[in-house]
Amino acid sequence: MSILELQHVEKIYGEKANQVNALRDISLQVEEGEFAAIVGTSGSGKSTLLNLIGGLDNPTKGKIFVKNREIGSLSRKELTIFRRRNIGFVFQNYSLMPVLNVYDNVALPVTFDRGRHLNRKYIEELLRELGIWEKRKKYPNELSGGQQQRVAIARALVNKPQLLLGDEPTGNLDSATTIEVMGLLKSSCRKYKQTILMVTHNEAIAQTCDRVIHIEDGRIVNGKRRFPGKGGDALC
Amino acid sequence: MLKLAWKYMLYYKSQTLAIFTSIVLTASLLAGISSLIYSSQKSDLANSKTIYGDWHYYVETDREMYESIQSGEKGEGYELKRCGKLEIRDVVLDEFVLCFIHTDETYRQMAHRDLLKGNYPEKENEIAADGFVLGSLGFSGNLGDSIHIGEQDYVVTGVLKSKWAASADEMEIFVSDGFSGRGRQRFLYLGFDEEEKLYRQLDSFLKTYGLNAESVVGNDEVTRYLSKEAPAGIYETIKFGLTEEEGNFTYIVLKLQSDYNLTYHGMIALLCLFSLFVVYSVFNISVSKRTSEYGMLQTLGVSGKQIGGTLILELFMLLFIGYPLGCLLGNGILSLVFQKVGGVFKGSLSGADQTLAEGTNAVPFYLSWDAMISGFAFLLISLAVVAFILVCSLKKQSLKDVMSGDTSFTKRRKIYAVGPINMAGVVVRKFMFANKKKVFGILISLSMGGCIFLCTTYMVENLKIHAELSLKSDDGLGSEYRISLKSRSLIDTIPEAAADKIKGMPETERVYATKYTLSEMIHIEELEWEHYFDERNQDLSFQQRFGGICVRQDDGTYRIKYDMYGYDQELLEQLRDFILEGEIDPEEIKNRNQIVAVANMDGQGNYYFYGKKPGDTVTLRVPRTDGYTDELLSFQSNEECYIQQEFEIAAIVSRSLAREQEFLNSDKWEDSPGVIMTNEQMKENFGIADYSFINASPAEGMEAEQASGQLRQVIKDVPKAVLQDYTTAIETQKNYLRQQQIFFSGIAVILLVISLFHIVNSMNHTIFARRREYGIIRAMGITDGGFYRMILQTGILYGVLADVFIFLIYNLVLRRVMDYYMAHVLQFLHLTANIPNLVLMGIMILNVVIAVAAVMFPAWKMVRETIISEITR
Repeated sequence: MSILELQHVEKIYGEKANQVNALRDISLQVEEGEFAAIVGTSGSGKSTLLNLIGGLDNPTKGKIFVKNREIGSLSRKELTIFRRRNIGFVFQNYSLMPVLNVYDNVALPVTFDRGRHLNRKYIEELLRELGIWEKRKKYPNELSGGQQQRVAIARALVNKPQLLLGDEPTGNLDSATTIEVMGLLKSSCRKYKQTILMVTHNEAIAQTCDRVIHIEDGRIVNGKRRFPGKGGDALC
Repeated sequence: MLKLAWKYMLYYKSQTLAIFTSIVLTASLLAGISSLIYSSQKSDLANSKTIYGDWHYYVETDREMYESIQSGEKGEGYELKRCGKLEIRDVVLDEFVLCFIHTDETYRQMAHRDLLKGNYPEKENEIAADGFVLGSLGFSGNLGDSIHIGEQDYVVTGVLKSKWAASADEMEIFVSDGFSGRGRQRFLYLGFDEEEKLYRQLDSFLKTYGLNAESVVGNDEVTRYLSKEAPAGIYETIKFGLTEEEGNFTYIVLKLQSDYNLTYHGMIALLCLFSLFVVYSVFNISVSKRTSEYGMLQTLGVSGKQIGGTLILELFMLLFIGYPLGCLLGNGILSLVFQKVGGVFKGSLSGADQTLAEGTNAVPFYLSWDAMISGFAFLLISLAVVAFILVCSLKKQSLKDVMSGDTSFTKRRKIYAVGPINMAGVVVRKFMFANKKKVFGILISLSMGGCIFLCTTYMVENLKIHAELSLKSDDGLGSEYRISLKSRSLIDTIPEAAADKIKGMPETERVYATKYTLSEMIHIEELEWEHYFDERNQDLSFQQRFGGICVRQDDGTYRIKYDMYGYDQELLEQLRDFILEGEIDPEEIKNRNQIVAVANMDGQGNYYFYGKKPGDTVTLRVPRTDGYTDELLSFQSNEECYIQQEFEIAAIVSRSLAREQEFLNSDKWEDSPGVIMTNEQMKENFGIADYSFINASPAEGMEAEQASGQLRQVIKDVPKAVLQDYTTAIETQKNYLRQQQIFFSGIAVILLVISLFHIVNSMNHTIFARRREYGIIRAMGITDGGFYRMILQTGILYGVLADVFIFLIYNLVLRRVMDYYMAHVLQFLHLTANIPNLVLMGIMILNVVIAVAAVMFPAWKMVRETIISEITR
């Protein structure tokens, strides 16, 4: 069953002479439980694509369906609520709140949705799983890059989203940490039955995913699917 | 560097605009307010000149010098712009003391004795005088009619402007040069160049003509604005104030005020500091946005000096353009306002008296060039220092720190999400208090405008009360008309019947008839202020008439001459506004035969009544009315000539209301000590039935002319009685005080506006500085409504905290400083007014509203941007 579908999506930045076609006629389907990598060179449009899928930006043309709901038809408020309940984000620069410690950073998105009723047990489980429970009182600038990215992943997972979007989540990490983080994402994907869509420019990392979507000059050039079935059993 | 500075200015347009606006606003504030104060002081000077005459000194001289010196004379070290000449040709002791004087036109202009009607006398038997003198002499005819003075008849040819009503204690009759009289006493009235120091010009003038400094009499109320004497050194003044027993802080302030015009220069200094604070703060905020770029430049090899140079160039460019523009703006707007509300001597003249005919000329708006120039120099230097400090602070940090921006915040090892808590609220508080220093700075700037506004309002409120009380007491301007006796003897009185007649007149209301006698307070054991009476004791006329004011006895006690008044019930009740201690209940005072004592006040606004309190007693001696002679006023005659009695003090007050002008308050003396009781007590204790003066106001809707005419009719048959008309004087003083209130309020509003600009800028920055973090929160799924609520919380929190700050700073510090300043430096009569609750509430609410508006605007701007563009900033 497809969790994500893009139909002839286009994104144009700027106007008239300064127009840039960031994405051209992108059509794509991602199945539930799939771990897909979007690969492309710098400026190819991969981050733009991810932002459109996450509802952080609006397409100029085309439609995007997440869980069979066209996100373009949602109001701002509906989209925000839909996003926080169904989509998790992991950014390259971690994007943690510098003034909050690890635990509060992770708990923050939940409070937007469920107010004060936090599932603290789940947060603890998540932090232990990601190996940062001991660091829960530390502030982001007291952590290594890998630890910060784990916090970012924990924060993305805390609302149990069905779709996890990663914008070069390993881009700032060394190779050992990269392997570690990829492992975490995969295990999370397996454990929580999540679909992960990850942008990377590293072909080797992409090759560890179920599917690699190549994008160049705003167009998908190759969308080969290694494991067409649900869940991507082999790697996830 | 110039290119880089220019590029920076163009690229960071909004920041450049913010710095530029702050410079323009502060320059307009500095220039405008300085000019306003300068003009206000000029207006004070104009006020004093109108009341006391437009001259600086007068000197008695011989004929040769009298004739040789002319207006416009320039000598070594002085320029005599105007020289008025007055000759006393004769003095007639008739019903009143009348001086026959011959003057030149310059003197008449200086003394505001211009001709209102008719001609100046040309023949020997012709005279001119003002309405007050002619009225007092019973002249009611037309010009050309004759009047009998002394033993001769004179033809009245002209009517002159009267002297300022409140100081009309001499009666002058203007005569022609042909009037020979019985003698000649010549005086030169000197008006020097006011742009130069007066004391230096006077010294040179005296030296040139070999005159003795003691022969010079100064017009103190005018010259005090014009550096009348060489100022004491600031160091010496402060040293004296701090080390000598007689010195204190108030002494320093008052001395600096009199010698260096502290109000004006102090205000310029404060405005300079305020301007620097605002410009620095705005600049700091703007520059903090590019700190990382400076770090980057440093990695490229640009030196700290070059970065400093870029900053200075940028600031100087803005200063050179913004400062003149601000001066133009501030002076332009305020001069317009000034022209509208200015003009101390607006309004029509009292027809009956024509005390002043200064006209309706508005007081010009003077530009304070020295404030503008010194402000510019100050900002120029300070901004260079600011740039230097900034570069130094960059040097202190490592390049990596500089590039990564501000990461300093307090780290509390507390997990908030463990408990049931609103995490958005936590984020708000964390953002706000991440850097306590910054928060403190923002709160200070948030409170500053409010505090200044509250202080000014507090002062204006008290100024109003002080003005009302002053009008009632100081100048005797509480009533429009005053009937008194031009007599220095207690024999002369206004009969009870005349007083009753005036009280019954439909043309008048609020008629207060006052009894008076001179008394001596005895058995005063110690004088806390030993030198308080020294000057009065030295006055020759006091020695001759009263045997001195404060006389030490063989037993070590003192006897002090006191004015004793009998007030009617209503007037006594009005004294309640002036109570320092005790209570005033006219019935009880009468029944218990008590008195109300007027305290002595020193030059620093401290009150004292020989250590006595209400409930204590004083012993007073009063000359008996039977067999009274003026010799009794020296209190050295036989005991049986006096009545001695002990009185309990009911209350101690700061001022008396109706005051005599012929005994202890005569000549240059005022505020002489007095005791007050009821009219009935005066009769029962001392047998005084008649009155000494009567204050009255025209009845509502009654023509002033009609009321004064009726009063003249009543007093026509009372020997030596004169009617003084204060209508114009009251109106003028009220205008003047209104204008002062507008000045203060205007200054407060301008400062508030600048502060608001600063607040908006600071708050804008506070929110925009967290733009990326807010972007992340939005990406995490906070709705727009939730985001606005979060920001709103920030604004409210800032506003409320600023309110708390204002409340604490104002009540714990500023109000006390203001009380001290008003009581001891400005010497306000009573500090009874508080800030109206509405104003207080208004400021509190305004603070919250401004803080909320200041944060909601950037929030709105952020929401309009996509989340991605916010996160990637």
